[in-house]
Amino acid sequence: MRRPATWWKTGVGLVLTALMLFPAYWMVNVSFTRDQDMRKTPPNWFPVHGTLAGYRAVLDQQLPYLGTSLLVSLGTVAVTLVIAAPAGYSLARLRPAGGGTLSFLLLVAQMIPGIIMAMGFYAIYLTLGVLNTVGGLIVGDATIAVPFGVLVFQAFMSGIPAEITQAATVDGAGPVRAFWSVVLPVSRNATITVALFAFLWAWSDFVFASTLDGGGRLRPITLGIYQYIGNNNQQWNAIMATAVVASIPAAALLVVAQRYIAAGVSAGAVKD
Amino acid sequence: MRWLATRRRAVGAALAILVAAGGAAACSSSDDNSGSGAGSATYTIWDPYPQFDNSSDWVTLLKKCGTDAGVSVSRTGYDTTDLTSKALLAAQQGNSPDVLIVDNPVVSTLAEAGVLATTEDTKLDASASSPNLLAAGQSGGKTYGVPIGANTLALYYNKAVLSAAGVDPASVTDWAALTAALAKVTAAGKKGITFSAIGTEEGSFQFLPWFWGSGAQLSTLDSAGGVAALSLWSDWLAKKYAPNSVINNTQTTSWQEFATGQYAFAENGTWQLANAKKAGFQYGILPIPAKDGGTAPAPTGGEFVTIPVQKQTARYATAAKLVNCLTSSDNLLATDTTLSYIAPTEAVQAAQVAKNPELKVWVEAVKAAKGRTGDNLGTKYPKISEPMWKAVQSALSGSQSPQAALSNAQSAAAAATN
Amino acid sequence: MPAATRTAAGAGVARTATPAPVRHRRRAPGYRAQRWVAWAFLLPLVAFLLAFYAYPLYRNLDLSLRNYTVRSFVQGGAPFTGLANYRRVIDDPTFAPALLHTAVFTAASLVFQFGIGLALAVFFHQHFRLSATLRALFLVPWLLPLIVSSSTWAWMLNSEAGVVNSVLRAVGGDPVNWLTSPHWSLVSVTVANVWIGIPFNLVLLYSGLQGISPQLYEAAALDGAGGWQRFWRLTFPLLRPVSAITLLLGLVYTLKVLDVIWVMTRGGPADSSTTFATWAYRLGFGSVLPRFGPAAAVGNLLIVAALGFGLVYIRFQRRQGGQA
Repeated sequence: MRRPATWWKTGVGLVLTALMLFPAYWMVNVSFTRDQDMRKTPPNWFPVHGTLAGYRAVLDQQLPYLGTSLLVSLGTVAVTLVIAAPAGYSLARLRPAGGGTLSFLLLVAQMIPGIIMAMGFYAIYLTLGVLNTVGGLIVGDATIAVPFGVLVFQAFMSGIPAEITQAATVDGAGPVRAFWSVVLPVSRNATITVALFAFLWAWSDFVFASTLDGGGRLRPITLGIYQYIGNNNQQWNAIMATAVVASIPAAALLVVAQRYIAAGVSAGAVKD
Repeated sequence: MRWLATRRRAVGAALAILVAAGGAAACSSSDDNSGSGAGSATYTIWDPYPQFDNSSDWVTLLKKCGTDAGVSVSRTGYDTTDLTSKALLAAQQGNSPDVLIVDNPVVSTLAEAGVLATTEDTKLDASASSPNLLAAGQSGGKTYGVPIGANTLALYYNKAVLSAAGVDPASVTDWAALTAALAKVTAAGKKGITFSAIGTEEGSFQFLPWFWGSGAQLSTLDSAGGVAALSLWSDWLAKKYAPNSVINNTQTTSWQEFATGQYAFAENGTWQLANAKKAGFQYGILPIPAKDGGTAPAPTGGEFVTIPVQKQTARYATAAKLVNCLTSSDNLLATDTTLSYIAPTEAVQAAQVAKNPELKVWVEAVKAAKGRTGDNLGTKYPKISEPMWKAVQSALSGSQSPQAALSNAQSAAAAATN
Repeated sequence: MPAATRTAAGAGVARTATPAPVRHRRRAPGYRAQRWVAWAFLLPLVAFLLAFYAYPLYRNLDLSLRNYTVRSFVQGGAPFTGLANYRRVIDDPTFAPALLHTAVFTAASLVFQFGIGLALAVFFHQHFRLSATLRALFLVPWLLPLIVSSSTWAWMLNSEAGVVNSVLRAVGGDPVNWLTSPHWSLVSVTVANVWIGIPFNLVLLYSGLQGISPQLYEAAALDGAGGWQRFWRLTFPLLRPVSAITLLLGLVYTLKVLDVIWVMTRGGPADSSTTFATWAYRLGFGSVLPRFGPAAAVGNLLIVAALGFGLVYIRFQRRQGGQA
């Protein structure tokens, strides 16, 4: 009795997904389009006179940028986790005085537009000598993810049943050991969620990359795209091809991680 | 619990490796940072050509000039719209590059901010440049840089489309003739003209030949000439001689429309010459007509090579050597051919025409061109340009009539420049 | 999530509501040491906040309170002018339209992102064949750099060569000037923004759904509640804490949205799709002559607006916590 109903839902799901992904399909379509067909009326739904020129340009020129993007994004994940996990733990379970104010400040921190942050960083970075370095960009990108990360960790960790940490405390473990050996492993889903958000936000960031690493030797892919956006000319098939190629590692990560996200953001194991 | 311990160790190790890798990469790229530091032998150059990577002719030329001057050169290409704010931010923090190449209307802004050094201080020689091109880099009687090349606008036309519609390109000498030609082309089933009217400086750039061609001046946006120019454009849109997409077109997207082969005319610049050859149809070039005949003055595009103010004035000598190398007659020919610009000096212009006779039309156009910040407008120009492009957008999108739009623009401009 | 946020909120309430004597009685030996440890865990975060959020905010405030010309920006010595920049911004003719557009853009984006995200989350929660894969595919818009997704939408909505208009023409309708008409420009950027925001809402709401115990649904079904009733009476109320945080974060992020609008319409034509974020950017970076003072003022007004909503959220959290 249930099988026909399931297939019907799969069908609807496929249609909805196709609608949602249509712009992404269009992006791939443009990446194969010749320059003279770019503004054809009506446009080609399929690149009939396709060209690989965009992809050739990307493979020739963009791979170093992709490598840097990967490095920056992974670094951002690391920094975000190192700062956010202990903070979330502290706010959720150790509950110091003033924790509520700190949570509110974290909310406020997310309200600041990126360009204001980037302009402020410029002076600090210059003084510290970390302008145009990958390390500097990593820390800058972490500012996008840290407040959200603390929020997720705090929500998740306060939902962990008290019995689990009490068992550790009875065994004589202090808060540090309790955090490292007990709470953190149980919070695997939250960790993966925060890691994924941090990775994706750092991967697609442009404002910080442009201001803080615009002149560096190692630059991320969002700046690499500008190679095709000259002062008077833009190569759209190469731009779209870059986006397609840049999406592949992120997509792979997404497919792997989404199983954990599913059970992630909420407390998961909470039974009231 | 052992699997937990192993996993933790693995995660910890992975994190440590990541941090180390990041740190190593950061350290290895930090030697690029010592650029404009005290007394270093690396000179930094910023230019607005991010499309040129390290293997391009442009960067090879920069490095060669550096070697000739006895120093190593570190070059970064930025998006041209970003470069002004980056230059200001850098100057504020004392981090200016040694040589800065910027779009010409920006020079007066940077000069006023005290970011650029005058040619007196740097001993740069600007005498060979044509005066009409040099004007954009002059303010308060001082010169702040040297033009690297100029480009300007003209009308490209599709020979096949025009002959099929029975239009003789040579007859397009004033606005009435042009509008008549557009009518014939549209009646024959093709599209008329495409240009860029986007709400940025690019849109103003494209509107200026028509604005100046009607005899109007930027100091009075809502003069009869100004209204005539804007009405010309909005009538074309109303009669479908020009597509609605011009309101959002950049010069590139406008060119892409022309490249489909459906349009008779496109208003675009010298930098499209290379693309024009790839277009796959026969094209020609006409100067943009003025309202009652003659060639309309078009605005000059193209960048200036400038030397920002440095705390260590001893660096000016070498910086000036780099600039002279870039703008020397021998190198100018190669540079301007790469950039598809017209040279700023008479001698090199002659050499360009000798090499490529098609450029004659462009050389004439550049000679007739005007700087946007000329007429003593200087830093007033941006305060007039923005209300002007807003008026163009309002009129073309139908929210206001050309007269009303320009009157509002004039009040806004007058308020901003006082 | 329901229990988690309630506890977190409860912590906030307990801090202010618990009278001092109770706290005194609760102190166990080692409490002071525990407080130190708690703040030690928070130390990296606090240092991070001070260095990377407080300082840019201070600089922005300074920019808005002085009269900065390009000269004084570079050389220093800008005179203090108090609230003059704010007054200039409020008197500007762009202020009222920008305010209206910001409100409409944000409200419409939130309603549709949340509504569609919730519908999709409920739909995918039913675990049919391929539901996990399809759900993962829905996150693809998130992977694309904003400049690319915005450009793709601009491409598709182009008046001449856009695929949307070509479909309209094919079915016999009139083409619409999506990006170049003052009536449609705001609609177009809102649609693109909703598309970009659906994955975020989907992820958060889906995990919220996962936190609801299936036994509750079984009990409701036994009581004779139909599908729709189950949703309204059971799912929706239990999702309230997750919904609140999703909406708040969505609001904060939408207020900051810049790239989508800038790439698609530049805020035009004639300011018809200008919001506070794009206006601030245009003032500071979008013209040949930057005006940093007014740009910073608009940016600060934006932060204040977001702050207002943040306070509303805190009030909501307290009420929820009180109900526990």
